[in-house]
Amino acid sequence: MTILASAPSAIRQYRHLTLVLALAAIVTVSLVRVFTDQSRMTTPGTLRLALIAACPILLAGLGGLWAERAGIVNIGLEGQMLLGTWGAAFFAYHFGAWVGVLGALLMGALGGLLHAVATITFGVDHIISGVAINIAGLGAVGYLAQTFFTDLDGGGPRNLSGYAVPTEVTIPGISDGARWVSEQRWFLISDVAAAVAGVTTRLSLLTILAVALVAVTAWVLWRTPFGLRLRSCGENPQAAETLGVNVYRYKYIAVLISGAFAGLGGAYLAMVASSSFTTGQTNGRGYIGLASMIFGNWNPTGVLASSLMFGYADGVSLLSDNGPLVHALLLLLSLILLGYAALKYVGGERVTGLVVALIAVALLVWYLAVDSVPSDFTGMTPYVLTLFVLAVASQRLRMPAASGKSYRRGQAG
Amino acid sequence: MRRLTRAAALAGAAALALSACGTAADNDGDGEDTNAQECEVTQIEGDPKVALAYDVGGRGDQSFNDAAYAGFEQAQTEFGFEGTEGEASSDESEEVREQRLRGFAGDGYNVIVGVGFAYSESVDKVAPDYPNVAFAVIDGFDPTEDEQNCNVAYLTFAENEGSFLVGVAAAEQTESNTVGFVGGVNNTLIQKFEAGFAAGVEAVNPDVEVVSTYIEETDPRGFGDPAGGQAAAEGLINDGADVIFHAAGASGIGVFDAVTSADLWAIGVDSDQYLTASPEQQPHILTSMLKRVDVATYDFIKSAVDGEPLSSYSLFTLADEGVGYSTSGDLLSEEIIATIEDYEQQIIDGEIEVPEQP
Repeated sequence: MTILASAPSAIRQYRHLTLVLALAAIVTVSLVRVFTDQSRMTTPGTLRLALIAACPILLAGLGGLWAERAGIVNIGLEGQMLLGTWGAAFFAYHFGAWVGVLGALLMGALGGLLHAVATITFGVDHIISGVAINIAGLGAVGYLAQTFFTDLDGGGPRNLSGYAVPTEVTIPGISDGARWVSEQRWFLISDVAAAVAGVTTRLSLLTILAVALVAVTAWVLWRTPFGLRLRSCGENPQAAETLGVNVYRYKYIAVLISGAFAGLGGAYLAMVASSSFTTGQTNGRGYIGLASMIFGNWNPTGVLASSLMFGYADGVSLLSDNGPLVHALLLLLSLILLGYAALKYVGGERVTGLVVALIAVALLVWYLAVDSVPSDFTGMTPYVLTLFVLAVASQRLRMPAASGKSYRRGQAG
Repeated sequence: MRRLTRAAALAGAAALALSACGTAADNDGDGEDTNAQECEVTQIEGDPKVALAYDVGGRGDQSFNDAAYAGFEQAQTEFGFEGTEGEASSDESEEVREQRLRGFAGDGYNVIVGVGFAYSESVDKVAPDYPNVAFAVIDGFDPTEDEQNCNVAYLTFAENEGSFLVGVAAAEQTESNTVGFVGGVNNTLIQKFEAGFAAGVEAVNPDVEVVSTYIEETDPRGFGDPAGGQAAAEGLINDGADVIFHAAGASGIGVFDAVTSADLWAIGVDSDQYLTASPEQQPHILTSMLKRVDVATYDFIKSAVDGEPLSSYSLFTLADEGVGYSTSGDLLSEEIIATIEDYEQQIIDGEIEVPEQP
């Protein structure tokens, strides 16, 4: 109880720190951009690409968060996302864009239901069930596409295009104004303006929904009695049970929502990131979503920040002639790590601080030694970043205490 | 991954060896490949039964695989044989492809077409066990140079020549003096498209800049990722490109989405993609680099039906009408078409040699 009582002030302090760190990060980015003269680092176009690449990862990450907060590891996100791509394509083709979004939610939730039945009712190992869902999802989508899309106009056994997608909006005055400011390449101001222009130009309503779901998730899980009970199932289901919480029901709800979020991520891929369906188009984004959840420390804003970072890496890897830009990002990463190392060192974790500082110096040496990074590296950037961050930040991470553990009704005795 | 890189390298080597030989697809027996061993004509048993095994992307990609299907369909209507199709999944292993081919052969299919270079190795393994089945691999190569399989035909194309022509169109059409290229996977085969395209642009106007990017470095999923295609194209548009040529299979649909939203131009690949695009996209598809996979597939099936299936390498060039460009939608102006035709003639006459490497 004392923990709960002290929570608000701790949260406030944490927010304060986050704000300062975010500001420091923006200043660093702008400094590096000016110093390396890589203006493409923060153009509205690049940031728009990053946002679009980030949203499917974000939705999968939030889905993972819901399940894990209730104690269920949902590694089946990839499969549920795949089901979502099919649901979006099928329902949007026949009934319009927003029915497509609903269809994706439904298909994702169906995958979630499968996972819930296996792990909650039958106590199957979460990883095994999740992997099974990924494999089954791929097979099911292949079968469904072949059955329903082969004879459609614009379709084939593995593809479908030509369905309605959610509207894109451009905020007239702000978009053009911010774009103009961003083109002046002023220190700091232009970078912020680029971000503003990036999110006010041809912004899909689905993007707004995805970002809004971060706030909704945070509010529901941390500000409502329902959320408290749900999280208690992930921390200590036995204790929750003794307090009269129907643990099974909460776990079911959480995993269904988890699947629906992943399905929405699939819809995003098939409707905003592109406007066509092809089987297997998630390309591992469900797994990256899981990584963004871990990197985001099982916390909605953390998931948002990390998925934006992964999305940025993803977007940059697709730019033409991106060697010099990735080279500049090395310097940025090195500086950020140096800052992180300093924080650690001052905070008393001297060994970690020194190790991180060493890595930062190594990156700096790499930066100084070469002029450009080979394109092979840019493709693997998101994956290297994940590994790297997991290795460095693992001490700070705290997952829900009972996540991944099997729970049987009546265990509390 | 490693296997794929090696395969790509081999494909390149094969393509180079091939162009050096200068074999034409429809050579009338005059320019026999000197390296080829004496091969008996493959005798298929009974009525021809044709199987088509697709590549990643699959039928409905509105591009490569659909073109193969068009050739297959045309042959089927004409000759009325029994046929079947097999779909590939996005990250299947060599064994799965091999199983698919063996499955077809076991079911009595005696004319089997592997669509895409990925089938080269599996066909090489399977073909010796079924000497009375005629195999073909589109874009294929013989991975083991030592022993030749007499019942395998490798149907390849001079993609660089076709890409040169659409490069000419792009350079004529651009207003920003920047044109873009999106490749699915950064391998030797796709680099051929980029090289030809860049050479065509250069020939018309050396001041036009070509910006290019690849969706994946080695992973074949680059051909089935429309989101990646759209993001790559938007990146090029941000760089100032106003005409974008793609060689990215099913990912190309994303490229069309990007140019449609930005009200710019795209150039399709393999099939005439104007015909399969959605009505919103159509006004933005300037032309398509045609790789007549349909012609190659049809020719091969026809040769098998006629009792003398093609074998060894067949290169379909501009001179053979194995590659080309489309004019559907009448978006290319008459002047541009005239310029393209001029360059086309120069390539056919051998006055212009189109590079294969960027």
